[in-house]
Amino acid sequence: MIQFKALLIKEFKEAFRDKRALMVAMTMAMMAPIMIFALSKTMIKEMIETPPIYLNISGSEFAPKLIKQLKDNNILSLKNVPDSDNELWTERNLELNIPEDFAQSMLEGKVIEIILQADFSEKSLNAPIRRVKNEIRVYAQSIGAKRLIVRGIDPRILQPIKISEQDTAKPSSNAVFISMMLGLYVLMAAFMSGLSVAIDSSAGERERNVLEMLLCQPVSTVKIVSAKLCCASTISILGVILTLVLTSFSVGFVDLTKIGATFSLDAYMVFIIVLMLLPISFFASALQLFVSFQAKSFKEAQSTVSMIIMLPAMIPLALMFIDDKPKWLDWLPVSGQTLLMEELFKGGLINWAAFTGTAGVTIGLTVLLVAILSHRLKSEKVVLALS
Amino acid sequence: MIEVNNLHKSFSVAKKQQVKALNGLSFKAKDGEITGILGPNGAGKTTCLRTLYGLLKADDGSAIIDGIDVTESPLEARAKLGIFPDKFGLYERLTAYEQIDYFASIHGLQGESKHQAILSIIADLEMEELAHRKTQGFSQGQRMKVTLAQALVHKPQNFVLDEPTRGLDVMSTRVLRNFLAKYKEKGHCILFSSHVMQEVAALCDRVIIVANGKLAAEGTPQELCDLAGEPLLEDAFVKLIGSDEGVAA
Repeated sequence: MIQFKALLIKEFKEAFRDKRALMVAMTMAMMAPIMIFALSKTMIKEMIETPPIYLNISGSEFAPKLIKQLKDNNILSLKNVPDSDNELWTERNLELNIPEDFAQSMLEGKVIEIILQADFSEKSLNAPIRRVKNEIRVYAQSIGAKRLIVRGIDPRILQPIKISEQDTAKPSSNAVFISMMLGLYVLMAAFMSGLSVAIDSSAGERERNVLEMLLCQPVSTVKIVSAKLCCASTISILGVILTLVLTSFSVGFVDLTKIGATFSLDAYMVFIIVLMLLPISFFASALQLFVSFQAKSFKEAQSTVSMIIMLPAMIPLALMFIDDKPKWLDWLPVSGQTLLMEELFKGGLINWAAFTGTAGVTIGLTVLLVAILSHRLKSEKVVLALS
Repeated sequence: MIEVNNLHKSFSVAKKQQVKALNGLSFKAKDGEITGILGPNGAGKTTCLRTLYGLLKADDGSAIIDGIDVTESPLEARAKLGIFPDKFGLYERLTAYEQIDYFASIHGLQGESKHQAILSIIADLEMEELAHRKTQGFSQGQRMKVTLAQALVHKPQNFVLDEPTRGLDVMSTRVLRNFLAKYKEKGHCILFSSHVMQEVAALCDRVIIVANGKLAAEGTPQELCDLAGEPLLEDAFVKLIGSDEGVAA
């Protein structure tokens, strides 16, 4: 116990005295709230505003009423585009062709074919195209309805069934983009914050020739590894807490009610998330120590460990594409926590069985990593690599 | 007391290619004596010492420290050892005191006895001024002192040094030499490897000459000179490790 305490104190001293590395570790946490704040601002703006759309309309003179309807809804002719947006809308090249016989066909009750030409695969055009189509459909429906009324028929005859949508999503579910980002971010923070400490205390010590001295001492490698692990994961957890606290503060400045969403990150939620990520922090640090102890130099360790950081980024992304998630995903490290956080942010209750399950599996894997690493530190290969 | 019996150790360099680093090395380093290991580069000195620390496992033979077999119980054996390793680095973000404290705790010292042990080793090495400075930027001589202090703070019966004088100036070498002589007086066993003949001649009670992973000759410096029929230890050394294997055997 004296030994472990001494090892731990020394690791903490070294970690906290390396101010620059510590700062880098914490910038990750500092950046999270700023990013979330900026991103949600722009998203809200996109969701509630209907910016003008400029269409290259040919034959507008044949359908003045339709053009007026479009104009009332901020869909304008390309001729009126202001210079600042000219290039953008010329390039987007949305075309609407109104046939010459529009008025005649309207009079005769024929189906009129209007051509909307655009690159439908272009993502940025999705919203403009949707709005143009919607306005034209509304216009057509109103004329159709009038025709029926003139003939003494209730227009509702065309709508035998009406779907009434009742949204069971809780109000906060709408803030899904914030929670998704935050979930990803805290996972990244867990992996990133302890990174420099993990590398420094393993590959760094080897490079500074202090590891050999330590391995010659009458202390078991399990204690050495555990002390380093405790130190790195403490820094990692600090990063997570800082991310969460700063985010809960910054989200307060975003007016989510504009899009009918609420998002709150109260003390209870912060507590639950930290509790959930505690095993992940240990797991991440263990993984990083494991890799960087095998590396021959600080540099090699850095490049290999940066691969590990892909883990928290890729797993949640991959999960987004799986609709029918198999049960075992609930139990794996990273994926289990991602799914739990998703539920939590949606305002749902926590599945405590999955919570303890994934924590158990994560801790189990961490212990396994520590055991393997301690064993490997006793092997001659590591010693020979010292010189 | 350190005993090495018939140590064998080989490393595989490439596929199916093996290098024999130790080839049946045996010697004894007694308490109250300074034993020097001399040998050309690559003779197996560092391999032998690393086997003593328990970092490497011998293919055959045994290393015994105060009656404890290193292979069987490495932690107990290491507790009897003070080690000054081949390459020594310092924790540059810790002060000299903290560093010595760290190693003292690893050896199980605590409380007031630990504090006293640290103070006494600092006084022995006359490094009071350095004690509370961070070790970053220490000179080679100062680094040597810190390493020496952390190796000896728990007052081990046996002290092993791997080329301790490398890179040291005359003053630091003298500090080290005087310290080792004093430590020997207290009845400890000191084993150290070196390349420097004058040092070995001046300091060692017994010299072990290692070549090609085995014992080439052993005795007091004077005995070795007599054995080789050379007045200088350096010439004797060259002769003993060289072609005159008849003498060595």
